[in-house]
Amino acid sequence: MVAATTSDAVLPNSGGTVLSVLRKPSVLPGFGLTLGFTLTYLSLIVLLPLAALALKAAGLGWSGFWDAVLTPRVLAAFKVSFGLSLAAAAINAVFGFIVAWVLVRYRFPGDRIVDALVDLPFALPTAVAGIALSALYAPNGWIGSLLMEWFGLRVAFTPLGIAIALTFIGLPFVVRTVQPILQDLPPEEEEAAAALGATRWQSFRRVVFPALLPALLTGFALAFARGVGEYGSVIFIAGNIPGLSEILPLLIVIKLEQYDYAGAAAVGVLMLMASFALLLALNLLQAWMRSRHAR
Amino acid sequence: MAIQVSGITKQFGSFRALDAVDLEVRSGELLALLGPSGSGKTTLLRIMAGLEFADSGSLLLNGEEALSLTPRERQVGFVFQHYALFRHMTVFENVAFGMKVRPRGQRPTSSEIKRRVMELLELVQLAHFADRYPAQLSGGQRQRVALARALAIEPKVLLLDEPFGALDAKVRKELRRWLRKLHEDIHITSVFVTHDQEEALELADRVVVMSQGRIEQVGSPAEVYDRPASAFVYEFLGQVNRFDCVVADGVARTANGALSIPADGTVRGPAIAYVRPHDLGLSPSAGGPGRVSGIHVVGPDARIEIDLAGLPLEAEMDRERLSALGLRLGDQCTVHIDRARVFPQP
Repeated sequence: MVAATTSDAVLPNSGGTVLSVLRKPSVLPGFGLTLGFTLTYLSLIVLLPLAALALKAAGLGWSGFWDAVLTPRVLAAFKVSFGLSLAAAAINAVFGFIVAWVLVRYRFPGDRIVDALVDLPFALPTAVAGIALSALYAPNGWIGSLLMEWFGLRVAFTPLGIAIALTFIGLPFVVRTVQPILQDLPPEEEEAAAALGATRWQSFRRVVFPALLPALLTGFALAFARGVGEYGSVIFIAGNIPGLSEILPLLIVIKLEQYDYAGAAAVGVLMLMASFALLLALNLLQAWMRSRHAR
Repeated sequence: MAIQVSGITKQFGSFRALDAVDLEVRSGELLALLGPSGSGKTTLLRIMAGLEFADSGSLLLNGEEALSLTPRERQVGFVFQHYALFRHMTVFENVAFGMKVRPRGQRPTSSEIKRRVMELLELVQLAHFADRYPAQLSGGQRQRVALARALAIEPKVLLLDEPFGALDAKVRKELRRWLRKLHEDIHITSVFVTHDQEEALELADRVVVMSQGRIEQVGSPAEVYDRPASAFVYEFLGQVNRFDCVVADGVARTANGALSIPADGTVRGPAIAYVRPHDLGLSPSAGGPGRVSGIHVVGPDARIEIDLAGLPLEAEMDRERLSALGLRLGDQCTVHIDRARVFPQP
């Protein structure tokens, strides 16, 4: 592989541009065009706004940035946002996996309807979901009153309520990433496991689950990222008590309303860095898992 | 270990995959289930393994009723057409799998497992590949891993479902020879499914020819080839020339009278005559009824197409014989039949 690229680079008519060094010989046309388009598009849609955000935060200076970010209120909100997003993504990983399993493996009356239901959290305006959830889980709501009566448990206007909202909006990500992989899993591998003497549980744990793990991790990462950025559904059910159930996006809005644009940008940059680090770690973990059985 | 199949029936919706099949697999033999797709051969194999459930009938493994047993309890090794290796496990882990999933009391120690796995990889000549993943192996190597994996549980029976079906011609031939040799070394009762008659005839001790969920004939390769029990078996086991004819006075004649074939005494009336291409003799003759309409040379063999008064025929001989005869495209010739089989019209 290395030899091939080097010899390609010394070809007299290879141009000597940066592009031709990056490029490996391929029969697929349009490498330059599509790469150029991709970079331009990503720059305009993703990088430019993020750069503007960083620039705005940079106006504070290094110490000003840390002063804005390291306040107890921001740190508490940081913990709420990231901790509950991780928790919700974990809940979704478990139950979304079960939903995907049932939808793929069993045929039952109404399975198509259940399948369509999974996408609803995508389609519903999140504020509507937030209002519906807080109505249900409020101390005088249908579920909230029962929980209050039986367990003395308060859900709405506590971190628990935030977790429920984030679980609601994150569910489709896990189901929709695991489902196609599970669908394509060849039945022969499980049959082989059975013929080799594995119990149903052993064949699930050692054969099926490892094959689904990369997809499950993708679903987890997506659900987590969605949870961190979620605003609409959370603010209705959270109660938004500073230091207890206040999320970072709300804090940013509050700062904006106080015309503290640089402070809002600083919190935004903090979220960005933390999310990027976590997603990068998840992606690397996944790449490592895939490389172990790459085709 | 012997396998006794009796009256096994399996229905998929309105399709009858197996129709009251009886079969005995003798201990230590290598048996081929041969038939076209849809003949039920794979279904029968999967029922033996416990991967499919029979609607009725009985299956004895070593004299014990086995239909109610799970695959796990039957201790059969199964090899799939598309290998079905565990792709996230190395070759070593794949082969070790069957031993590692045993209940704690029966599980060998990890050093014992390691020794067994390396021994098996040695046997399939893949000891250097223990740390590779299946995706890094060629088709032939993957199938050998699958075989080692199946043998690792010390099965009493080895069942192979089109084991060479996904391989290219050369590898297929090599692996076939190798499997034959392996079977001679370890003498495990083995059943393999194939739709390739050459493979079945070359590899198996006995061949079971199946069609439409029934067994047409069981016998040694020579038996089924030389004395086919039915028109189907004759047609399936090699190239044939097929004629519709009428038998009278021990002679089968085609409708246009171009060909008459000696028939044995049992058949009368409308019939089908079969002649293998290598049983068809040609001799050049200027006024002969046949005309050479095509010559195809394939390696050492030559296939000659003859137009016998509108009846297309195919003859086969080696190249030297063809050049000795001096037949060329468009030449006239006479046709004589050295050997033929006549079956009554169904």
